[in-house]
Amino acid sequence: MADYRELWESLDMDLEKHDELCQVLPEFYGDIYMTQEKRPEGMNYFNFVISEIHGLRIKELNEHRKNGKKVFGSFCVFVPDEVILAADGIGVGLCGGSEFWVPDGEKVLPRNMCPLIKASVGAKISGTCPYFQSADMLVGETTCDGKKKAWEILEDYIPMHVMDLPQMKREKDKENFKDEIKIFKEKVEEVTGNKVSAESLKETIKLVNNKRKTLQRLYNTRKAENLPISGKDALLITQVAFYDDTNRFIDKVNELCDELENRIEEKVSVFKEGTPRILLTGTPMAIPNWKMHHLIETSGGAVVCEEACTGTKYFERLVDEDNEDLDSQLRALSERYMGINCACFSPNDGRIDDIIRLYKEYNADGVIYNSLPFCHTYAIEYKKVKDALEKEGIPVIMIETDYSLQDAGQINTRLEAFFEMINMNKELAI
Amino acid sequence: MNSNTYILFPSHSDGLALEKKLKEESIKYTISPTPRSLSECCGISIMISPEICHTVESIIKENRDIRISGIHTIERKSRDWFK
Repeated sequence: MADYRELWESLDMDLEKHDELCQVLPEFYGDIYMTQEKRPEGMNYFNFVISEIHGLRIKELNEHRKNGKKVFGSFCVFVPDEVILAADGIGVGLCGGSEFWVPDGEKVLPRNMCPLIKASVGAKISGTCPYFQSADMLVGETTCDGKKKAWEILEDYIPMHVMDLPQMKREKDKENFKDEIKIFKEKVEEVTGNKVSAESLKETIKLVNNKRKTLQRLYNTRKAENLPISGKDALLITQVAFYDDTNRFIDKVNELCDELENRIEEKVSVFKEGTPRILLTGTPMAIPNWKMHHLIETSGGAVVCEEACTGTKYFERLVDEDNEDLDSQLRALSERYMGINCACFSPNDGRIDDIIRLYKEYNADGVIYNSLPFCHTYAIEYKKVKDALEKEGIPVIMIETDYSLQDAGQINTRLEAFFEMINMNKELAI
Repeated sequence: MNSNTYILFPSHSDGLALEKKLKEESIKYTISPTPRSLSECCGISIMISPEICHTVESIIKENRDIRISGIHTIERKSRDWFK
């Protein structure tokens, strides 16, 4: 076994506490993921990534930094990776998806706030996440009040840059976000010492678009009647997309897609016929938050799509590649990113259209609206989504839950009732 | 007894080298996080069914450049974390 302890020590990690995490993760992943039947062989790569989650990738980031290059940590799908890559930097997603980090987060944050923020801050201040420890700078944004204020605490621990994300989608807001991307570009140039040229940005816009196209290809396989991959596995791939090496990720997901497309031709399904198809919508699910998918897929449902940051928000729509000068490229980036229908915008009717469209595209039978506790924007938006879905005759339930394992029984009961109702509707329709 | 055999490696590249060989020979395997009971270091191992352990051992013998740091067969256990 590779011994990464020296590397972790060099990153100023709390080795003893980190070891507590290492004691749990392999077993947790094994029980949730490796007990699934008929998993595609291509998932071996993702088993590899998870097994080496605090090892090989951290070593790669460390080597990158030894060569004088920089690593940027971010928390949101609005931070444009294209700009970081164009300056020869690496961007990694840093959201915390484990209960493990919450108590440390609560040392400096109020308890009644979203677990994603508490876990993210806790991961940094406890020194137990090697990704945080490998970042030269964190890039925050103003998507919600909780995050906005948390950056002020985090900047005592690590250099921060905060992007001001507009809260409306008027023309002037798109113009403002273009300016924000420009300011971010200048910051990245300052930190890396590398200029972002129109040529380099053109290349990385293409590269990140390719990553989006690859994920679109993956998600397209989930539209098939016979599902070639579980929702849980698809979620894992989207989560890994946030920090894996972009080129390697594209290659491996394409290899997997070849296998999945063969499975569709051969009508191989990982679920039994008639399993209710679920569109999951709501707040992001950061590694290792696999809770909702696991509960749904062990209660008789199958997740066919995620309308979430760890889902379609991350890869739908491409950046226009046909621009030769920086100004037009920045405008194209702003256009694409401001097209994300995040609940931080007011109004946000585009998200309702997305949910209804995805429900039809993925041939779903019902929608589960999933929200982390204290996420006001997503929790409040449920009312409008629910009204619109009911008008369309689409079954929907809202489940609010954090990372803890205690409420699983209660959620299972609600899910089973929801699936039973869906099955009854299907029978009545015949 | 329901069990799995794990092959452990001194580095991930040895694991990937064996994976390549197993793929060529069409042998069923799964890349897996190394169970904590087998090693305290994080990283990959290759999980196979105990029945094919001999076949895999002979592949390892034939390919001396692939280094391994142990082969262990342990009982398959899983628990429901959400109960």
